[in-house]
Amino acid sequence: MTVKESQFIEISMDSGKEMHLTRYYIFSPFLRIFHWLMVVSIIVLFASGIVIMTPMSMGEGQYVVLNNWHLSVDWIRNLHFVAGFVLTASFLFRIYGYIINKGDRLLPNIFRMKFWDDLVEVMMHYCLLKYSHKQFLRNPMARMSYVAIYGLIVVEMLTGFAMYFQVNPNGVGSFLFGWLVIPYGEMFLHVVHHIVAWCIFLFAAIHVYMVVRADFMEREGEISSMISGTKVLAHLPDDINDIRDKRGRIIKG
Amino acid sequence: MEGYDSIWDMYKKKGISRRSFIKTCTAMTALLGLAPAMLPEVVKAAEKRLPVVIWLHGHECTGCSEAFLRSGAPLTSDVVLNMIALEYDDTLGAASGEPFENHLQEIMKTYKGQYILAVEGAAPPDPKGGFCMVGGRSFVEEVKEAAAGAAAIIAYGSCAAWGGIQAARPNPTQAVSLNEIIDNKHIVNVPGCPPIPEVMTGVIAHYAMFGNLPPLDNRNCPKQFFGNRIHDTCYRRPFFDAGMFANDFNDAGARAGWCLYKLGCRGPETYASCGNMRWWNGLSYPIQSGHGCIGCTSKNFWDNDPFYTRLPEVAGLGLGNIDKIGAVATGALAVGITAHLATSAVQKRRRDQKELEDEKKAAEEAERMSRGKD
Repeated sequence: MTVKESQFIEISMDSGKEMHLTRYYIFSPFLRIFHWLMVVSIIVLFASGIVIMTPMSMGEGQYVVLNNWHLSVDWIRNLHFVAGFVLTASFLFRIYGYIINKGDRLLPNIFRMKFWDDLVEVMMHYCLLKYSHKQFLRNPMARMSYVAIYGLIVVEMLTGFAMYFQVNPNGVGSFLFGWLVIPYGEMFLHVVHHIVAWCIFLFAAIHVYMVVRADFMEREGEISSMISGTKVLAHLPDDINDIRDKRGRIIKG
Repeated sequence: MEGYDSIWDMYKKKGISRRSFIKTCTAMTALLGLAPAMLPEVVKAAEKRLPVVIWLHGHECTGCSEAFLRSGAPLTSDVVLNMIALEYDDTLGAASGEPFENHLQEIMKTYKGQYILAVEGAAPPDPKGGFCMVGGRSFVEEVKEAAAGAAAIIAYGSCAAWGGIQAARPNPTQAVSLNEIIDNKHIVNVPGCPPIPEVMTGVIAHYAMFGNLPPLDNRNCPKQFFGNRIHDTCYRRPFFDAGMFANDFNDAGARAGWCLYKLGCRGPETYASCGNMRWWNGLSYPIQSGHGCIGCTSKNFWDNDPFYTRLPEVAGLGLGNIDKIGAVATGALAVGITAHLATSAVQKRRRDQKELEDEKKAAEEAERMSRGKD
């Protein structure tokens, strides 16, 4: 493994111990830009979605105030649609990054037994049954959950566009997404869209907690990695092979 | 009554002038919503032989027939007596019993491959179940037999199109829609509980006029009648966009005619002509009368209950208000995260302390060893 001198960091820990830490470059700009666009758009989408489900209903006369704040249902719906398009565009952007950058391809290796063993280990750790787990660039549980969140987002996109484009059932949009309406009817899409939105919200809450916790407990620069794209690790991570190129070198951004 | 081959034939036999006939055709062109340039087509169609129609009733309430009878443009009497040759309809037929059933068999034989089959009602698929017997035979057998020789099939009403109330939970007869028991045939779905009368007559008048079925969407519903959401054509839409809602059927918003979205109106998911054509010659429609749409043209709309909340309870799961469940789950998650965080912190502290102690012990050990050497 070839790591430049400048990428070594020496820091002193509280206990007075010295450790050699290495900085690994994992997340390409595609993933990071996607991540933060997704954060903004999911917050907007979830909040506006809740309001669309139960719109603010003004009593007599007060709707004028509501419109002065530009909070009419029409405006909020447009906000929801714009955020939806932003999320979709950034998701496509992320897919492009997935294709060109190996570090953006940290998916679960479900066909290897080792992956499942490691998953059990990490889950034991998070169930507080084990003090620590092996170091990973991205641990198996995280890998599984990010595939899950992408799945949930895809469900939201498909159901969302299906409902959105049905405003013109003869248009191109409904040609592409209208087939989703057929099996169980359009009301079903609303229900699915709504339940999955809550799943994403709960996922985001757990995700933020786990990241903050990992940053405090393991001091691997978990939070900053989504800004700088790098993680600082004391040991060679277990899944380092996932960011090696064909010649076996660790890929640098 | 004398039989007529076509509308023009009727005019000739009654001694009415060609001029009157053309005037009637012009009126019909306008009523069907066609461009004036289509007049020659309509005249040509009116000179053609009247299409033979067989109308069957299955698992249903006959409400669709009731609606059909109230069509204003074209008038039902015009459709039944002048535009089509309605050979069998057990509700409208003057005859009954065995002669009438024999007539049905005769018509099916004589006009094999030429007649239109209009069906109202769902079908219980098991003929041995004893449900829905017509003339001593199960309806499913009768409709399959009639469908085999039909040139076109029109499923009138939500029961024939989607299964309707018969197919709603718990569906004791296992009733299914028409397209689930008839394969290899194109079925035009004209859903609604009941469909708008003018939509019912409009579809059959289209066939009578042009000899083909109207353009269909991906659910096999005629585009011209089911191509718009009620929500997008609703005259109360501006109230929705502005955020003016009736929160209760008794409040000022309901009296002022504001949007019924919060009272469970299904307009945003329902495709029908209620918003633009309305009912009874444009007199009114459910939303105009102050009640939200229940989505009667939608598939499985009976199962999307309750009708008076924005989102239905998910069938079988008994979930209720998803937002409330979500809020409760969020609260539970917050408690869980706090507990997990506290436990993790305690665990980390113990680990750090143990590490420190181990180090101290090791240091002491080393010291002792070094002393021992001295």
